[in-house]
Amino acid sequence: MKSIIILSGLGALTLFSEIINFKKWLYPIILLGLLACIGFAIKDWGAPAHHFYNNMMVFDNIAIAFTILLCSIVFFWLILAKDFLTHETHLTDHLSLILFASVGAMMMVCYGNLVMLFLGIETLSIPMYIMAGSKKNSLNSNESALKYFLMGAFATGFLLYGIALIYGVTGAFHLHTIADYVVAERGNYPMMFYTGILFILIGLSFKVSAFPFQFWAPDVYTGAPTMVTAFMSTIVKTAAFAAFYRLFNSCFAGVGDVWIKMVIAMSVATLLIGNIGAIIQTNLKRMLAYSAIAHAGYLLIGIASINLTSGNDSSSGNTIFYYTLAYSIGSLISFGILYNVANSTESDSIEAFNGLGKRNPFLAFAMTISLLSLAGIPPMAGFFGKYYLFLSAIHQGKIWLVMFAVLASLIGIYYYLKVIIAMYFKPQENLPSVVVKEYHKPTIAFLLIILVALGLAPELFIKLF
Amino acid sequence: MILNLFYFLAFLSVICSFMVVTARNPVHSVLYLIITFFTIGCQYLILNAQFLAAVHIIVYAGAIMVLFLYVIMLLNLNQTTEVHKSNYAKFAAAIASGLLLLVMVSSLKGADLLSNALPQNSQVGLIENLGKILFNSFLLPFELSAILFLAAMVGAVLIGKNEVK
Repeated sequence: MKSIIILSGLGALTLFSEIINFKKWLYPIILLGLLACIGFAIKDWGAPAHHFYNNMMVFDNIAIAFTILLCSIVFFWLILAKDFLTHETHLTDHLSLILFASVGAMMMVCYGNLVMLFLGIETLSIPMYIMAGSKKNSLNSNESALKYFLMGAFATGFLLYGIALIYGVTGAFHLHTIADYVVAERGNYPMMFYTGILFILIGLSFKVSAFPFQFWAPDVYTGAPTMVTAFMSTIVKTAAFAAFYRLFNSCFAGVGDVWIKMVIAMSVATLLIGNIGAIIQTNLKRMLAYSAIAHAGYLLIGIASINLTSGNDSSSGNTIFYYTLAYSIGSLISFGILYNVANSTESDSIEAFNGLGKRNPFLAFAMTISLLSLAGIPPMAGFFGKYYLFLSAIHQGKIWLVMFAVLASLIGIYYYLKVIIAMYFKPQENLPSVVVKEYHKPTIAFLLIILVALGLAPELFIKLF
Repeated sequence: MILNLFYFLAFLSVICSFMVVTARNPVHSVLYLIITFFTIGCQYLILNAQFLAAVHIIVYAGAIMVLFLYVIMLLNLNQTTEVHKSNYAKFAAAIASGLLLLVMVSSLKGADLLSNALPQNSQVGLIENLGKILFNSFLLPFELSAILFLAAMVGAVLIGKNEVK
């Protein structure tokens, strides 16, 4: 709750800073505010769940963990994106949009009411549509914004219709009332209830770009400015999966036999589309977009292995948390490096990385570590993320799904290695040397240390709640 | 009497929304859409939800329709510039929306059993009760929607603004 108040205040302050002219202090104040959010969230850790305003928000440990995760990613994203925001956009306006989007993300991880879920998704999405089109002179950026907006609006329609149908059956928006209804009416639901679940599933899978609603993702991710793509593939995806997990774990676990088969089918198809699609890409940004789709497929395994019989078992939530943590840090590093390389060579293609091992050994090393983590090579954090996801799926008896996912991650290793090979074994042909922003180096190094530490001590994070 | 009125309005809105899709002239299409919104607004009135009806007319028939008409006039859409979709795309769209219709209609199966399950209160849609709910149990979403609107406003200004570099 405090994080939402702080972030909204910071957003308003950012808008005012244009009038009273203290742009110089804006960035430090916002970063301090985010640290305060993290501090307040850590202070609340372990306490019994707080309920705010008639159960509109429920702060349990899962919500707090995701709040800390999102605040930290926004914190590091802001440092990496400072150059982009000051030089390529209108600083104050776009900064406030980012802060408002973060408020939406916070709402999505702690909602206790479907109205709050809807508001959170919209508050996150609308600033993102505008951020995607923030390069007004670039045709690709415009295309990306328009596609994102139209597809997002379409998905919102489905989500809202689903929420309305659920309300029509249960007479409630509160998650706990819906959960009570599911228990009380066991097996005796009207058709409308199933349709409601189906529509909410469609709306959410649009947001996480899962098959068959993934077609917008490659174009949108490629067209948007690189740092905005980094925001979309880390914060938006993390918040969407936190919301996905919260709803389906707390409300619809009792009707799991209806939706779990759909989620499994979606997961298999998403893994296939994401990994096969990534292989043929020559543009690194587009490849990372497809890899983001593939990671959504892995995370859907976490949704599919929600424990349907025991409501208090949050082990699959914990695996989703660990996976999004490892994935977000890995992709934040790789997008940060892509931003620097693409700025120097003016190209997003994998060829721009040729010989990076000689041109800039530090960036090449950081990129290698983050890509290996994304690919899931042991002892990286990404490997343990996948390992625990697969383990919880096996506990729920989804052996075939896990076997397929292992095969898919083998395909994944191929295209991540393609970039690493380009960096170390391809000759550099008249490519300019890469200039790294001075504050990017320590940030990337710090993120790298976190990523390695996550891989060394996964036990610390896998038994959080 | 009320039931007859309902059927009449429902019939009118289905006919009009069908005309929205089939009308050749985009301006006619928009006008049919306005009639559809009015009929739906009347449905809200039948349900004793005056506030919802008024907001529906003001927002949809007022603001959004004007926006639609502006866009149509600015783009100068008419029959000659209309892009013709391939038959393949038309076929796929027909199948997809047909399936969606099937799902929506089939979801009504067994729905009438529930009409007695929820407490009936004919006054629930009045503005007084709506305000009480909005400022008591739904206070937080009401306040937080301010953030949403502020973000949307900033975004609209950003899109509309001229780049001065």
